[in-house]
Amino acid sequence: MKFKTKSILSLTMFLLGSGSAIAQTELKLWHMEQPPHRVARVQELLDAFNASHPDIIVSQEPQNWGEIYAKAPAALAAGNGPDMLFAIPDFAPILKEIGAVQDVGAFVGTLDAKHDLLDSAVASYSYDNGVWAVPLYNMAMSLWYDKAAFEEAGAKVPETWSEWKVAAEKLTAHGKYGIGLPASKGLYTDQVVYDFMVNNQASEIYNADGSFAFDSPKTAEAYAMAAALQKFSPPDSAGWFWGDAEACFASGTCASILQFTTITTYDTQGSGDATKLGVAPIPHADGESQHNTIAYANAVMLLSDDPAKRAAFETFITWLMEPENYGRFLNMEPGLFLPVTADGAKAESFWNDPLVQKYKSQIETMIANSANGKLFGFTNGLTFPSIAPISGQNVLSEVLQAVVIDGAEPAVAVAAGQAHMQEIAQ
Amino acid sequence: MTGRGFPMPPPQNAADPKVGGSSLHKRGRSERKLALLFVTPALGLLALTLLWPLVLAVDLSLRDVRFIGKQGNFIGLRNYIEVLADARFWHAGARSLIWVAGNALAQTALALAAALVLHQDFPGVRIARVWVLLTWIVPTVVVVIIWRWLLSNSGGMINPLLIKAGLLEAPIGFFSSRASAMTTLILINSWRWFPFVTLMILAALTRIPGDLDEAARMDGANAWQRFRRITWPLLQPTLSVLTVVGTLLSFNVFDIIWLVTAGGPSGGTQTLPVLIYETAFKGYELSRAAAISVLTGLVLMGFAILASRSMTREVGT
Repeated sequence: MKFKTKSILSLTMFLLGSGSAIAQTELKLWHMEQPPHRVARVQELLDAFNASHPDIIVSQEPQNWGEIYAKAPAALAAGNGPDMLFAIPDFAPILKEIGAVQDVGAFVGTLDAKHDLLDSAVASYSYDNGVWAVPLYNMAMSLWYDKAAFEEAGAKVPETWSEWKVAAEKLTAHGKYGIGLPASKGLYTDQVVYDFMVNNQASEIYNADGSFAFDSPKTAEAYAMAAALQKFSPPDSAGWFWGDAEACFASGTCASILQFTTITTYDTQGSGDATKLGVAPIPHADGESQHNTIAYANAVMLLSDDPAKRAAFETFITWLMEPENYGRFLNMEPGLFLPVTADGAKAESFWNDPLVQKYKSQIETMIANSANGKLFGFTNGLTFPSIAPISGQNVLSEVLQAVVIDGAEPAVAVAAGQAHMQEIAQ
Repeated sequence: MTGRGFPMPPPQNAADPKVGGSSLHKRGRSERKLALLFVTPALGLLALTLLWPLVLAVDLSLRDVRFIGKQGNFIGLRNYIEVLADARFWHAGARSLIWVAGNALAQTALALAAALVLHQDFPGVRIARVWVLLTWIVPTVVVVIIWRWLLSNSGGMINPLLIKAGLLEAPIGFFSSRASAMTTLILINSWRWFPFVTLMILAALTRIPGDLDEAARMDGANAWQRFRRITWPLLQPTLSVLTVVGTLLSFNVFDIIWLVTAGGPSGGTQTLPVLIYETAFKGYELSRAAAISVLTGLVLMGFAILASRSMTREVGT
């Protein structure tokens, strides 16, 4: 009898166990936050989520931005893709074109009602009657400068382009450079070039009808200014990638740079003295009155059409966006990822991080700068599919290289750039 | 040796007087069948891993596929016509030629010098022979990180050294112009690959009979004359093979170029492999990239056939 009871109990336990295993939904997350400390922070959050939601298992597989444009479509075609994938605005249209991305408009509406999402963050993923990703964190570029170097050279933190040239010239001496500006062919240069464009009323790549608005005198002026400042930049900046500018700044070779952040590098490889790290809005053209910048939200796409996975995705993202979790998520790289929700911007979990506290004034300035942020190809609610290959082929930096490396007139290079854009769009 | 050594068995193909002609023919046929049976798995594997992807690439090049996972429509030779009319294809081809020629010259010069030194007998030569291989076994990514750091204007060592040596007045950007970027890349790649060529040349040097050099020395030939009249001619077969293999290997180098300059500045180091990658994965034109790949493959195949024929003729004469 005793044996029989035990057997029945064991069978019941087994069936219950099996039942819960069957009901468990697995979500595979691909993200491109590869540095080990970011992966570790994501894992901490996943462990906490998985522990509190036994019916869902979320796992991460870190990827890198260099490969993901080719890898994700291939993996999806092979039926081995992720269920969730991080994105930047110009990556989402590629996966949408192959029919892999799910519309998350209704879910984004729910999150917006609860947390007040930044409009510009949602806008860059809203087109073709849908919202194709949930914005997670914002990034905005600023002018980072060495306060001591500016004081020593008697240079004023520039507000306008004229002041910027004067300051850069004063700061360039004895093997030091006034400003570190990239002139390589790559995303970093594209984004820095756009900083000049948005500060001279040349933010539009497209007209409303989809034709190109890039070839304009204002765009040419922006390129002329970017090229003029190259004289005060290290000679190897034609080969710079993301980390090179930060290394130049941290080593003291560059007195200022345009970057999303330099806090971690400055703190670990530079002096780490928060009182000497300056951050300011990017100078605008003479005659303009507003400081603008390139800014965009990184987001997460849902790639599965399975209703159970959609429900699990919504549960996971809802949990992640709760202020007590969201700040920890943003601080996987303190001082780089900015909140896209109103309550996230006030979250204790965000501001309590030791590095965030140390550089609090700088981060507050970054958040203020992000208010006037734009992204090329995603302005005025107009998005055209050709922006993905135009961005992929780095046409903006290609034009800068024509001016800086080949010595072309800015107006001629800009016209050639628009011709290349038209060719790509066809 | 055979005359004074053990009695040797008759050659396998010698006619056995006890076996008739038709039996011999049958045996030959069955041996061929057996041989074919043995090589079939290898041939099948080769077909699966080389031929099938090649067929797929040709098929892809005849379509209008932009993204992986799409089937696209059949468009015939349109991609080929467009690629052949595109100046970027020809410019990239010209840069590939410069890249191959530059690497061949730099690697041969470095390797020949290293091999001649390592062929001498001096204390520590065994250590030196191992040491020279180190640059070859270092992973590409590490090579790139090392050289980017050395050549950087922010903390790099090359610029200060050149300034201290009086060769430069101010720091320069090694990747700031098309010509300097290509030259620097060729030197980096040659630094990485010359140990492989050194090994090949060293092996060839050890096969040159020492008595030839000795005889020439006794006849009063100086070092340069011995090198020019004995070593150099006897190295030719090895150098010819290395030219073919090296050209094919250099032509297809993508990793170092992409990681150091990404084809820049201003397209100055955009060789054909870089153009193929950019077209496929940055321009999202998979079919066009496949067309460039097929054209490139044909050129390389033509080169390999011509070179091997030329080498066969040389061996024949």
